[in-house]
Amino acid sequence: MIQFERFTLENGLKVIFHKDITTPLVVVNTLFDVGARDEDELKTGFAHLFEHLMFGGSVNIPDFDAPLQKAGGESNAFTSNDITNYYDVLPAQNIETALWLESDRMLSLAFTQKSLDTQKNVVIEEFKQRYLNQPYGDVWLKLRPLAYKVHPYRWATIGKEIKHIENAVMSDVKDFFHTFYSPSNAILCIAGNFEFEEIKKLVHKWYSEIPSKIKPPRILPLEPEQKKFREKTIERKVPSDAFYYAFKMPERKSPDYYVVDILSDALGGGRSSRLYNSLQKDKKIVTEINAYITGSLDNGLLIISGNLSPKASFEELDECLWKEIDRINQNEMLEKELNRLKNKIRTAKEFQEQAVLSRAMNLCFYELLGDAEGINIEQSIYENINPKHLIEVSNKILKKENCSLLKVKAVQS
Amino acid sequence: MIQRNIAPKIISLDKINFIEPKTFQLSDYSNCFWMKEVLDETVRIELQFDAGTTKGEKTLSQFVSSLLLSGTNLKKSNQIQEELDSLGAYTNIEIGLEVSIVSLFCLRKNAKEALNILVDAIQQVSFHESEVQDMLREKKQKFLINNEKVSVSARKEFQKHLFANSEVYSRQTEEKDFEFVSIEKLKAFHQKHYLNGLNKAVIVANFSDSEMIFFINSFKSMAKKEASSYETVIQNKAGRFHINKPNAVQTAIRMGIPLFNKTHPDFIDFQILETIFGDYFGSRLMSNIREDKGYTYGIGCGLPELRNTGYFVIVTEVGKDVSEATLKEIKFEMERLKNEPIPNEELELVKNYLLGQLLKSADGANAMMDLFLSTEMHGKKIFYYNEVIQHIKNINSKRINELATTYFDWDSFTICTVG
Repeated sequence: MIQFERFTLENGLKVIFHKDITTPLVVVNTLFDVGARDEDELKTGFAHLFEHLMFGGSVNIPDFDAPLQKAGGESNAFTSNDITNYYDVLPAQNIETALWLESDRMLSLAFTQKSLDTQKNVVIEEFKQRYLNQPYGDVWLKLRPLAYKVHPYRWATIGKEIKHIENAVMSDVKDFFHTFYSPSNAILCIAGNFEFEEIKKLVHKWYSEIPSKIKPPRILPLEPEQKKFREKTIERKVPSDAFYYAFKMPERKSPDYYVVDILSDALGGGRSSRLYNSLQKDKKIVTEINAYITGSLDNGLLIISGNLSPKASFEELDECLWKEIDRINQNEMLEKELNRLKNKIRTAKEFQEQAVLSRAMNLCFYELLGDAEGINIEQSIYENINPKHLIEVSNKILKKENCSLLKVKAVQS
Repeated sequence: MIQRNIAPKIISLDKINFIEPKTFQLSDYSNCFWMKEVLDETVRIELQFDAGTTKGEKTLSQFVSSLLLSGTNLKKSNQIQEELDSLGAYTNIEIGLEVSIVSLFCLRKNAKEALNILVDAIQQVSFHESEVQDMLREKKQKFLINNEKVSVSARKEFQKHLFANSEVYSRQTEEKDFEFVSIEKLKAFHQKHYLNGLNKAVIVANFSDSEMIFFINSFKSMAKKEASSYETVIQNKAGRFHINKPNAVQTAIRMGIPLFNKTHPDFIDFQILETIFGDYFGSRLMSNIREDKGYTYGIGCGLPELRNTGYFVIVTEVGKDVSEATLKEIKFEMERLKNEPIPNEELELVKNYLLGQLLKSADGANAMMDLFLSTEMHGKKIFYYNEVIQHIKNINSKRINELATTYFDWDSFTICTVG
């Protein structure tokens, strides 16, 4: 059970306090309700580029990192298709340094041309390092537009193409800040060995004078239901053929989300999974196979991906894979298998919650979903899933017309 | 209105409470370390074997480590996996130059049963022909994919020239190594390096003393009965080594020199120097090469330790057209550290940063255990870190310049570029 307390400032900032008497550190985590899905389709990659710029100095403080490091702390951030999350970890006695820095960059940025120019280059190098200069690195750049036709999930957080990053100008940066970076669009979590009243006072001191803005309405195009199987083949100079089957799945808030999570574990979550045993161990037509979900807030994807064995063909794979899917769609799962999957989730959660940083991040994330208390309820949702749910949901999700297949054909380098 | 342009007062750290784990002797050459201070139900058990890639004939160590859960005469591999999964247990096997580590993560109520399954699987591996063939096929594919990455090629090339004097430390796996392996040799390696090769066992869990007796007893038969040998001196081949990859859009750089580990009197101070140079987000290399020039997504350095020695390494991937410019800047930053005093502001920042990071690496039982393991390997107690705190507090600019002058000799570096 993770204990926490909450309050909201007049300017709309939601604050969560999580008391941990065992740590000498404090975590200050700030989640902004903005991600790549909020971008203009002609200016993609912007939420992520903006995350880089948040470290380039704020209105009253020329440098973000140095004062934090001087206080013994460290900071980082990540951007997804849904959110942008910033965190600071530092010795508890220096908590005010983090609040000072974080509140100032929520107030306003320095907006220097130098910072924009440099971070554009850095992000372009990141694009190359992670998406272009790796075998199979550009798969997600191809798979997303295949699976999504309308919803902004059709581009990756890094952006559709390098050109969009190159084209970013200062007025874009300012617009983005003014639209999305405000107290009412943020959730702050502070975790450490403090008293609630103390935290309230400090947060008031640093954040209450930040002017409130109206939370931007989010009107995203709804992805229409997929009615036909989609398939695309790309040729790449890679050592082996690879495959990515992507099935549309329910949004994060749907109770079925958890059922699909378990389904993906049953199919391809490790070495006791069905696809591993049948396709890799038994038939030896793949040398690697996994199934997982994207964890998206809007309708996400269940992915089955892997590499073909040198002598196997895509057709063979396809036949065996759909046979396994038929099996899960037609036969109720035995309690023994379901318990195994639930037990693994239980252990994973216990380990994940060991770190105060991940507790703070998750509290913000569940608050965004609607209620931070969700962090304490989630396990029971998994526990209550029964074989009937599984077969019902799998028949809705794991069907050909709901699937997009990307094949990577290996060609000689 | 609050004064936003004035930083809040910073309070420096004075003291960190280090906790030494309990030690149980398994044999004259093997110990079990136990950290009880865990506040939840989690259990981490780690078995460290004398079975790194430098042991035995080339590739045997890797193959055996991949086959540890591949089945016994009584159980097939998927049965072992199902049993572990049913207990909600996770396992992990990693292999380094000098040791291999098998880890088990689970909840307390299942720990005994899970460990029994794991230990039985490790001890009774049957090296069945079909399992060996599966392993070779899967590993070969992974090898080929990894080989495409410039970062992997650069790491291998670097290892080859850094450990130029040692056949076993410098050797590299090749595609043909996956064609055939003798099962007899796998069995012999397993016998020597696993059945009698347990270097140490690590337990981080809130067990009772009586539970601990069970765990210790299950390790004893594998405990090492003789001392292991490790390379003591590394001699590198200095100079520039380039592998051309016409299709790459970035160049991977890996460069470094043989150095030392915690047993050397300059170790702690050099760690402070290398932090300033390239081992934190505000380092000289990051500030210059990423934040000023935008040549890279990241650049860093580190001081990996081996049993009897260690080395210094700089790692980055940069735009293909700026790899020479990057090398020039790395050299420029080395020269600056030799010749210019470190501004007081920067030195204070790094001191506080390092103390804060040390506090973070001592937060929680698992972190404390890791901190301990990295001292224990060199025969030191965890209280070694009190010495580290003193060094951080006392170091001055002159000492940093001296160390840079002693160790940053450009001509002595092995510089590998792939791209």
